[in-house]
Amino acid sequence: MGSKITTSSTAEYFAKNLQQVGFSSPTKAVLTTLKESVDNALDACEEHSLLPEIKVSVQKVSKGSTKNVDLIEIMVEDNGPGLELEDITRVFGEYLASSKFGKGRCSRGQQGIGISAATTWAQLTYAAGVQVISKTKRMKKAVKAQVDVDIKKNKGVLKNKTTIDWNKPHGIKIVFRIDGRIQLNGDGGLITYLEGTSIVNPHLNLEYKLLDNELKKIERVTQEIPKVPPATLPHPHTMKLGEFIAHAHLYGGMSLKAFLKKGFSRVSDLVVKSFVQNGLSKSFLEKRLSSLNDKNHKDIFRAIQSTKMSNPSTQSVLTIGEERLSKSIQRLGNVDFFSVITRKPTICDHKPVVVEVAVARFSDSKKPQEESETITIQLLRFANRVPLQFDKSSCAITKSVESVNWKAYGLSQSKNSLPTGPYVLAVSVTSPFIKFKNASKETIDASEELVDEIRRTLMQAGQKLSRHIRREQKAQELERKMQYIESFVPILIKKLADITSASSTRVKKAEKGINKILGRDTKMAKEALKEAQGKLDHLKSKENGDKNLSDSTLVKNLKRSPQSKKKNVAVKQRKSS
Amino acid sequence: MAKQKVIRIRKLDKDIPKISRGLCDQMLKDLEQARRPVLSAVKCSLDNSSYDAKRGYLMPLAKRIQSELNVSSIQKLSRTVFILEILLNNLKTGAVNTKRELYYISKGLIKSDKFYKPLDFDEQVDCDSIVDFICDMLEVYREEMNCFANDRGGQTYSQHLVVTEFLPDGTKAVVDLSSLGTTPFQPKNKPQQFKVQKKGSLKFGLIVESEGTANTLVSNGITKRHPCVVIGAQGVPSNAVRGWCKTLQDQLAIPLYFYGDLDAYTLQNIFRTLKAGSAASLIRNSDFSAPQVKFLGLLPEDVEDHELHCYSVSASDPSEMRSLKKAKDALQNDPFFRDKKNKPLAKILKWLIKEKKRCEQQSVFSTDPKNPKVLEEFLINKIKKKKYI
Repeated sequence: MGSKITTSSTAEYFAKNLQQVGFSSPTKAVLTTLKESVDNALDACEEHSLLPEIKVSVQKVSKGSTKNVDLIEIMVEDNGPGLELEDITRVFGEYLASSKFGKGRCSRGQQGIGISAATTWAQLTYAAGVQVISKTKRMKKAVKAQVDVDIKKNKGVLKNKTTIDWNKPHGIKIVFRIDGRIQLNGDGGLITYLEGTSIVNPHLNLEYKLLDNELKKIERVTQEIPKVPPATLPHPHTMKLGEFIAHAHLYGGMSLKAFLKKGFSRVSDLVVKSFVQNGLSKSFLEKRLSSLNDKNHKDIFRAIQSTKMSNPSTQSVLTIGEERLSKSIQRLGNVDFFSVITRKPTICDHKPVVVEVAVARFSDSKKPQEESETITIQLLRFANRVPLQFDKSSCAITKSVESVNWKAYGLSQSKNSLPTGPYVLAVSVTSPFIKFKNASKETIDASEELVDEIRRTLMQAGQKLSRHIRREQKAQELERKMQYIESFVPILIKKLADITSASSTRVKKAEKGINKILGRDTKMAKEALKEAQGKLDHLKSKENGDKNLSDSTLVKNLKRSPQSKKKNVAVKQRKSS
Repeated sequence: MAKQKVIRIRKLDKDIPKISRGLCDQMLKDLEQARRPVLSAVKCSLDNSSYDAKRGYLMPLAKRIQSELNVSSIQKLSRTVFILEILLNNLKTGAVNTKRELYYISKGLIKSDKFYKPLDFDEQVDCDSIVDFICDMLEVYREEMNCFANDRGGQTYSQHLVVTEFLPDGTKAVVDLSSLGTTPFQPKNKPQQFKVQKKGSLKFGLIVESEGTANTLVSNGITKRHPCVVIGAQGVPSNAVRGWCKTLQDQLAIPLYFYGDLDAYTLQNIFRTLKAGSAASLIRNSDFSAPQVKFLGLLPEDVEDHELHCYSVSASDPSEMRSLKKAKDALQNDPFFRDKKNKPLAKILKWLIKEKKRCEQQSVFSTDPKNPKVLEEFLINKIKKKKYI
């Protein structure tokens, strides 16, 4: 006798497969919980046009419930609009309860899985879900409660509900206690996540306290709240057959023609006509969707796919902007120089997308210069302004960076690898339809068109960066030449005099002569440096003039690096001459 | 202290110290007049070499390297004058040094005086290139500057050879190689100070690429059964090995055969260097090459006739791929392989490029694993049937 076939709830499925949504290790569990909490806070503030003020604390409480893990407390507090009581249970305790699902907007969260998964993880490892304090504008007192997930029913359950005084007009504070391990730095580190988040959110005020480290405050560099463009309808060419049929069911009552025009972007009467020319049966057009069977859907879908259509609109994508990005990156430390590029929104794989790149060299590296030159650059990847911290190698961004010849821009690089040096390279991809490789959204799928678009942006940023590096190289060359003269002239003259037994008068005359000859060489090097500096200045002034052009670059030469301090001598000489 | 006498390789009509001092004087004069001094040397590279089969070795053409004083070249020029002074001092006292010794002598001088610190060499090769530049500039052999190569290769075995060595102090030593058993005679790095004589009927000389294989042949009795001289080249033949083979060729008038791997590296880097000298030492190939050496193998027909185990050149091995690329370059640019007389050798290179195969000299052993004389029989048979190039 065969075993009984049962149906599991969504919550049951995810509770058993939390590794698919970012809970595959104790370290990742802590990061994912923090990430989901912060992303939700940012999205909520953005939706309600509020400048986000986020406080984060991650602390070790005690030993965890199983071997080799600790009990970690993660607290995230925001000044968002807050949640009404009924929404609290849905947001934190119900899977796939989302206000953004399938909307075609550039929001961080999309499906409504992440935060419920974090609650489930807390329940599984600490036997209690999330503690929530929420206050909306209209509430006098804040609501405090514990939310658990009813795994069988995929429903949130409210426990220990009380009301408390909270001296905040609105906002949410959530506290998770989970089993995990804390990693602060490196690709999967909490600091990497928080710093990355601040780069792509210039409007964010962030305060964080991690373990016993000092409280860190990152101030916002702009008062402008990014306006998330309105949702866009899907483009028929971005859909698979199953998705198309599911989409049609949502519009069940109307005719096919009306559905095509209302349910998709870029479908007009003229386009419908083209569908017909490409094999769509005219008789289907006025039929109700509910009367069409799967075979009909297949035929319709085939005709649509074989019709040439204009690309979807790029108005639905959101950009951070070069000015904001350049201010933002400077919050991370002392920057020698940087280059920022925001490309115009474009279409990749029929989806609107915008790529932005910021590359900066930091001068406060604790490592000696030779060592830092051999270490791979720090690559920060972002999708819809969320840092991607795992599975780097198969990501479209990594592949694009590796495919660029960075040597041409003055950086060191082994073939098909990431470049090396004390640089931070931040690459942001924003699109209402980012194709991730997995549900935990760790890697962007590397389609040829997207890789190409990212590559083009990187090359533009590299070209601008190279102006700074070239100027630096020229300064180094000048310094080397001057050092050579200082070191070798006396040796050469002495040895020549020894071999020829020359008199001191000859020696003095020869010394004068050689300094005259080599002085001409350094003059040439000084001129080369001047030329490189001139090119850089020209670039800067051009960009300051072209700030409004979306394809321009803002480049600043903030201060000279420690390794070029010596070169100051040469530069001063240039100035005095 | 009395000046040590050094045996000379050739008659030289140049007063090296005088020329050197003149050169330095001219440099100083130029500097006094704020003119850039220029040092000029023979360009020792393949693109400046010519080959004439009648003459038998690579010679320099007219191109020269000009080193004019500027900020970039001042290090090289300073090092040149510094090393030149050491060499001139050696010529004065008769002291002799190897290149490696010169490197350490200069290191010692530099390290002991801060003033010279900027001259410091990171690697021996940096010091070697300065020594070579001085010789190419003065157009003299390195040995004529009392600088000799390190000992490597040339281990010689025979039952029919007597070597007389003339020592700098005027005495001589006579070595009968038949008394050495399987211990080789090592000609060291001054082969020109030997006189060699046949003992009985000496018929031929065999130069083997691998010293280990040469020793195996001797251990198995080749020199007992055949009146020959066996020499281990130990890879690319050093100046000493090339000079020693020339000495045997000129003084014994016996045919010399080379046996090595069937690959582009052996053919170009080892055999061509032995037979016609190297592009890096164009000015002294006349005394450091043995143009009458014949290529005994391995030949492509040996591979076919004896079904020798070959293997494909691995595309993932950068050195092997480089070697193949070099073979293509050699066919286009090496005057030795472009010469009509050496067409059969060029044909082997083409075969190697086309087949992308290689065969080791030791592969012959596995054609009859139970017979320790298998390689000896193979080689003697080839010589008898004149299967060589």
